Formats: sequence, C-alpha cells, structure tokens
Amino acid sequence: MANIVKIQDGYSFLPRAEATLLEALESENIAMEYQCRQGYCGCCQIKLIDGDVEYQEEPLAFVQEGHILPCCCKANSDVTVALPQPLTELQQRKASA
Amino acid sequence: MAYTTFNQNNFDATKEPMFFGQNVNVARYDVQKFSIFEQLIEKQLSFFWRPEEVDLSNDRSDFAKLPEHEQHIFLSNLKYQTLLDSIQGRSPNVALLPIVSLPELETWIETWAFSETIHSRSYTHIMRNVLTDPSKVFDDIISNDAIVSRATAITRHYDALIEGVQLYSTFGEGEHTINGETITVSRRDLKKKLYLTLVSVNVLEAIRFYVSFACSFAFAERATMEGNAKIIKLIARDEALHLTGTQHMLQLMASGRDDPEMAEIATELKDEARQIFIDAAEQEKEWAAYLFRDGSMIGLNKEILADYVEYITTQRMLAVGFESPFENKQNPLPWMSSWLNSDNVQVAPQEVEVSSYLVGQVDSDVDTDDFNDFSL
Repeated sequence: MANIVKIQDGYSFLPRAEATLLEALESENIAMEYQCRQGYCGCCQIKLIDGDVEYQEEPLAFVQEGHILPCCCKANSDVTVALPQPLTELQQRKASA
Repeated sequence: MAYTTFNQNNFDATKEPMFFGQNVNVARYDVQKFSIFEQLIEKQLSFFWRPEEVDLSNDRSDFAKLPEHEQHIFLSNLKYQTLLDSIQGRSPNVALLPIVSLPELETWIETWAFSETIHSRSYTHIMRNVLTDPSKVFDDIISNDAIVSRATAITRHYDALIEGVQLYSTFGEGEHTINGETITVSRRDLKKKLYLTLVSVNVLEAIRFYVSFACSFAFAERATMEGNAKIIKLIARDEALHLTGTQHMLQLMASGRDDPEMAEIATELKDEARQIFIDAAEQEKEWAAYLFRDGSMIGLNKEILADYVEYITTQRMLAVGFESPFENKQNPLPWMSSWLNSDNVQVAPQEVEVSSYLVGQVDSDVDTDDFNDFSL
C-alpha cells in the first residue's frame, strides 16, 4: 500500500512507489534544494515530523537529529515533513522558473 | 609531546580521541572508531578526475569576447578560488596531521588535501587556456589588497593552531620563556584553537567556495566559459564531500562522543564560532562589491550575490545548529542547484560519469556454469 506524504502546512499527496522522497516532492512542483542527490552533501535535508523513512543506503552526509535526506530515502509509513520555507512560496517559485 | 612518525607504544587506537591523543602508528583500517571517515575516503577516490580531461578550447575565444568588467569578474573570481585551494591543499596536512590520533581520520585528511591539489592544478589549466600570460594573474594574488585581506581572515585560525602545536610539541604543556616572552602552553587552549580552526574551515567550504561557484556558474548560465564551469562542477562535487567531513568532525566534537572536553569547548565557544560565520558573510559581501565595482553582468550583480551570501550562510548555520542573523529566505539563484548537481557530471561528451558507478562494480564471482558453453 502506498504511503501518504504530508507537508506540515497542510498539503498531502501519494508519491509514486519508485520515486525517492525528493523526486516525489519535486513532482508536486515544490522547489527543493539539492546538490548531490546521493546522500553525501546534505543540502536537501528536511525535518521529519512524523512517520518512518527507509534509506536504500545509509547516507554519508551529517544529518541533524530529527531530520532526513529525502534524496536517498522513501516513506516507510505515512510521513509528515516540514519544509524549510512556506509551501506556497516554494510552489510559486517552481511555477515561475 | 614531540611528534613521532611511528608511535612505538602499544595501544588501542579505537580508544583514542580524534585529535590530541597518541600519535598514530599502524595505518590500519580493519578496526575503526569512526568508519564514516573511511566511507568518505572511498567516495573521494571514486570521484577522481583530472583537469586535462575537460576541454577548454572554446573558453579562450569566449573570454576574449567578454567586456572588460566581466573579464575582471572572471579573473578575480578565479584568483580567489586559487587562494582558497592553495590554503586547503596545504593547511589540513600541516595543521591537523601532527595532532590526529585515528588512522582512518589521518588518511581522510590526506585524501581531502590531495584532492584540493587537483583543484589548484585546475586553475593553472584554466588560466593557461584563457590567457597568453597567466603569470600576471597569479602574481597579482599576493599583491591584490582585496584578496590579501581575504587570506588573512581565512588563515588566522589555522596559523594560530599550527603555532600552538609547534610550541606544544617542542616544549610540552606549562609556562615557558621563549625569546624573553612568557608563553603558556595548555592542551585545552590548543583544543579551542582546533575547534575554531575547524569552524573556519567549515565556513570556507560551506560559504566562501559557494559564493565563488555562483560567479563561475553565472557565466555558464549565459552559455559562455562553459569548460570552466565543467571544472568548477567537479570541484563543487569534491567540496560538498569535504564539507560533510568537516561537519562530521564538528558534530562528533560537539556531541561529546569523541572527547568530552571538546564538547565543553564547543559549548563555551558557541558565540565565537557563530561570529566566524557572520564575519565571513560580511567579508563575502565586501568581495561582491569588489567583483562588481566596474559593472554587473547579466544575471548577477552585487545585490543578488549579497543576497545569495545571506541565503547560503543561513542554510549552513542552520545545518550545524546555529541561529542565523539573516532572514531564512529562498535561494535567490535557483539555477545554482542544477549546476551543482553532481549526478550528471560529464567530463567528455562520450563519457557521462555517474560517481556511484565506479565503486565495487566488478563482479568477480566465477561459477563452473560460466564455462558451460566453452570448449577446448
């Protein structure tokens, strides 16, 4: 069964099963920060409010307590995450870019 | 505590702290205190590249076509990058190797500094391709006030640590009179210097380099100086890894998991460490003013670069748990991500290099079945 991804400021969606969490967020037109997309730079780090994620490979980057690296994990249950900036701004930017 | 290149004491290296424990003896990696450093080494080795692999032949004509103030921006930025890597190719070795106590960390420091020497060689490669006489540009690095004042800020903590460690290895802890001056050498004080050095290295890798990358990629965004941008992309991939290494060191120190005294020091020096970030942001803004003094370029000017400085400083401060003095706003240079993305680093047209492709990909399992359709 697919897991729901919720964003703290009130938005949720069902990601495609094969997508990483970062790809899933991007496919919702959210402008996410990223660099390596392989778990060693730590740029895409976001806060995990609730739920579990699964890493295919343990990332090298230093990840703060309570944070996750969406570039190399998938939701393992329904998850709630907090984005670094308000969702509406991040979606607007994607639309204008 | 004189340094010894092969410590003959018999001890368990996994019980030593990262720094200021015993000098390392056997370079062994079968047992490790912090395996993250070996993983970083392996990643760094899989990234190996050479500047000559990147074709810069179009950059020469591109450079000749740039207006004078843009040539100033390009060359000044390159000078600054040269300065940063001159420092980073040398200082981790000189400052950290004499005091490191874990074999895996020692090798990470050497691997890290080695990759910086490749960056330095890249800048010569770029200058040779772009200019008839690159020596004028290199010579200017040590006579240009804007660059020299950067250098002072960047090397201050390294130099203080190196000097302190030299006194410590020669005279040991305690009060000493040297050339008529009384000097107190204490290990705790050296640990403070080490902590501040690592914070300033973190700032160099996390903020200063990224400001310079923004300038390099701003040219390529306009489809000019693209060979240069390809090299900078490879450098950025390495720097992201180095930054991760430094963040791990700082984090291990702050958590007290490595050396409880270091955790006390991290708390004690919190304000000072935070100030290093803020000062660097101010210096980078001044640098932006110098770069664009004769005019801006399409897509980048003093204000946008200063906004980017604030943005990246905030991101980096939050990542290591500091409060930023700047507003947490969006990336003013949204195109940076796609240039920084190292997923698709391409060194030659026929060769798209995916870094994860390079590690452990040889299948050495041979089964007798494999010879079934084989006859002599």
